[in-house]
Amino acid sequence: MEFDLKTIEALAPDQASLSAASKLTKRSNWPRLEKNERQALIWGECQGSGSNPYRVVVDTGDHGYKCTCPSRKFPCKHTLALMWIAATAPASFAAAESSPEWVNDWLGRRRKTTPPPAQPTAGAAAKSIDEAARTDESAAVEDVAAVERREAAQRKRAEDTRQAVSAALDELDQWIADQLRLGLSGFVDGSSDRCRRIAARLVDMKATALAGRIDEIPSRLMALRGEEKPDAAIRELGKLVLLAKAWRAAPDDPELKRLVSTSETREQVLANPDAKQVESFWEVLGEKIESRRDGLVSHSTWLLDLKSATPQFAVLLDYFPASAGRRSNAFAPGDRFDARLVFYPSRKPLRALVAERMGEVMSGAWPDFSFGAAKDPLATHASYQDAAPWITDCPLMLPPGAILVDDRGTGWWQAADDPQGIALPIAGAVNQTLLGLDLAATAALWNGARLELLAAQSGFGRLDLS
Amino acid sequence: MNETEQTGLATMRDCWITGGATFDLAPTAWKTIAGSTSPDEQERRLLAIAAQALDVALRPAAPKTLKRRPPLPRLALPMLPERLRPLLRAALKHAVDARRKTRVVTLVASRGFVLHPMDWMPVASDQNSPDVYAPWIDWQASVDGERHAPQEKLTAENWDEFYPAARRIALADMRRSEPASARLLVEAKASGEPAEVRLALIELMRFGLNPEDAPFLKSLSADRSGKVRELAGRLLARLGEHGRSNDGGPDDPAAELAAFISEGKSGFIRRRSIYTPAKLKSPAQEKRRAELFETCNLVDLAARFSATEPEFIGAWQFGADNNADILIARMVAASGSDVAVTHMADALVADGDKPALFVLHLTPRLDSRRKRALVRLILKQANYLNAINLAEGIDAGWLEWNDLSNGSALAALRSAVAGNDDAMRRGADDILETIGFLATATTAAKLIDEVVAAGMPPAAPSLSVLRLNAALAEHQSRTDT
Repeated sequence: MEFDLKTIEALAPDQASLSAASKLTKRSNWPRLEKNERQALIWGECQGSGSNPYRVVVDTGDHGYKCTCPSRKFPCKHTLALMWIAATAPASFAAAESSPEWVNDWLGRRRKTTPPPAQPTAGAAAKSIDEAARTDESAAVEDVAAVERREAAQRKRAEDTRQAVSAALDELDQWIADQLRLGLSGFVDGSSDRCRRIAARLVDMKATALAGRIDEIPSRLMALRGEEKPDAAIRELGKLVLLAKAWRAAPDDPELKRLVSTSETREQVLANPDAKQVESFWEVLGEKIESRRDGLVSHSTWLLDLKSATPQFAVLLDYFPASAGRRSNAFAPGDRFDARLVFYPSRKPLRALVAERMGEVMSGAWPDFSFGAAKDPLATHASYQDAAPWITDCPLMLPPGAILVDDRGTGWWQAADDPQGIALPIAGAVNQTLLGLDLAATAALWNGARLELLAAQSGFGRLDLS
Repeated sequence: MNETEQTGLATMRDCWITGGATFDLAPTAWKTIAGSTSPDEQERRLLAIAAQALDVALRPAAPKTLKRRPPLPRLALPMLPERLRPLLRAALKHAVDARRKTRVVTLVASRGFVLHPMDWMPVASDQNSPDVYAPWIDWQASVDGERHAPQEKLTAENWDEFYPAARRIALADMRRSEPASARLLVEAKASGEPAEVRLALIELMRFGLNPEDAPFLKSLSADRSGKVRELAGRLLARLGEHGRSNDGGPDDPAAELAAFISEGKSGFIRRRSIYTPAKLKSPAQEKRRAELFETCNLVDLAARFSATEPEFIGAWQFGADNNADILIARMVAASGSDVAVTHMADALVADGDKPALFVLHLTPRLDSRRKRALVRLILKQANYLNAINLAEGIDAGWLEWNDLSNGSALAALRSAVAGNDDAMRRGADDILETIGFLATATTAAKLIDEVVAAGMPPAAPSLSVLRLNAALAEHQSRTDT
């Protein structure tokens, strides 16, 4: 370890970063801290505000670093915190024989330069590690009146938001009625402009989450064939009607609030005693990374509960600005870990946070889910829709089957014992090799029109399909 | 959803597509839910019901045209253990082209494993991957999957039942063990195949080529395809058969090519002939000479100087004109007899230095021992280390640590890795990748330690093949114990 606090002070971009870093130096923020002295590397995983932990690696030799967080400050608070721990509590780092794949990835890609060792610069005087540590210790004590004022202001803001959202939904209702009157064929053709306009209005009126969803309708329609688009438009707009009605009936419902205006914070979810918690072994099924029209990239990591007898899923969902560039992924498909997940409260809980990670789990096959004979492969989807009809992507565990192709080259999943019946069309191009494999079980997302494959079990072992 | 609802939904859908109110078209039960509200609200409620009905009550119907591919066959070797797949994927990712990827695949096969089909699949036209993958190549080539490669011996009767890759492998095997039967099969079947397939079949004649093949090869001089005629001519030339009459007239390309070569004498006591490329005066001449080297056969050229092929090659002055040296090396590889090829390889490798590199052109025709000798020489000299990347068709996993440490190769690699010259470092990366394919597992592990000590990051992608190589041995020893 070659860090002293002076070096960290010199490397920090500003005082705010140092102060933020000091709050992250608690051991509980870091489920994993490891070092490899031969390679002069320290690395760790920091549970930040996202669903996925941030992965941080620092070269103690030349002070090179990498963090998967989307911060535009270099080094970010996570990197500074890791260095800080290295300087003050080097014993926290467990010695590792070899570095993990994501560290190797970074090492392989980095251009090794030899920057001059961090020296206090002219601006360094403005940053002080002592001050950062102090601010951490001295939490200001608010008086009762101030607390009341703050809470009153919060209530007022919540009421204002509710009124604004209510007005936004009135406008949305009118917009939907207009689309039906003008004809869905025109809506399909001009969905890009029309959706953009109403989405912008909804953002102004604080229905931000709903605006983001409407902004994505054109791209979802674009992914379909011409003859499928009207039905898809009916589904999309109909779900909006249902969501708006549900919100009006229960504006404080956390699930509906999340889908219409804003989401709770990570801390609120963790502190919620009603939030469902599941401690289990989890396998990363796959990831879905989508660039959205509002400039954000949504990054969902789908997990499978390996201890459950029936297929149970969870999704870790993060958003980050597209301008932050492509992020390194926190988990690789196929990774398994022991963790306690806390689910965002909802009728069919899927979105979750990793509250605590206990360690890695050996790889192997999935549990033997007993698929009923001739069972409807979309039964899970139907039950999700019955409980929460506004859900767009529903995770499924499909029974033994295979991938087939039609004469247009589109792939279809079909159950092994149901050659004449239901077949589900697959989104995007299908890897030709898949056409020759029997799939014992397939995890996928169904959006009402297309199946997005995540992973499968086959005679050739686990198949990563995301 | 009952039939009335389905019909109602269909008409409502059509109405919404063009625009308008659908309340009157809705099924009665739905009308009740839509209730007596404003017309806009009625439409929205009906839309919500329709959306839910489409999502929950309808199932996509399977098109009648759905086709299933036959199951992917199991291969004769076990699959690479799951633990090693990340290393393999890293090595494949680093291998930039199909040739380098095939080298990784060959290395893994040489250690007794095949790859997972989702990590790598040979293409239908693949002719370079290890034989163990033939069932997958044929699976790729099969469209309908109705034929199945039989296990019995290839004959004229079951010819059509074999997939192309399986047939090619069966024929190549037969050429090695029973060359005459294989020739008779090719003779009987080739004429019915299209030119491209015919060319590939005739190409197999190079295995176990012998004088008995000459009449058949001569008969191909009347083949419809120019490429087949050319290939047959070269194979004949390898057997020492002159392709053209040595009339020496203006139309004889060998005579024209001979004019580009000066014959001289060397030695004081025993005067012997030497052949040197004549000085060229223009790019046009250079171009013409290259064309002639490509179309003429070695045996015809040597005959112009009243020499045998080995005599001609022995007297050629390598080092005088680099371009001409390359052209003659290619000519020997294409049309030289086996004796000429081995003579040239042995002589140049024994002399060492730069001309030895021309032997690289001959590698497709050299036996394993000579190829290894060439690689060892290149590593020992280390002046042209990059040339090692050009060697074709060399076995995987045999290069010992002594082969690396005896010469200057290690020192050259270490200094390239430690230096600041980007071009040198990139060159070293390529060499490490090639050595990753050639080395034994012990050599691979030692070499990683060497270059890491010299300053290469331990996880550098250029070490990926070496890492895979070393890990494959670890796995073997684990399963052995």
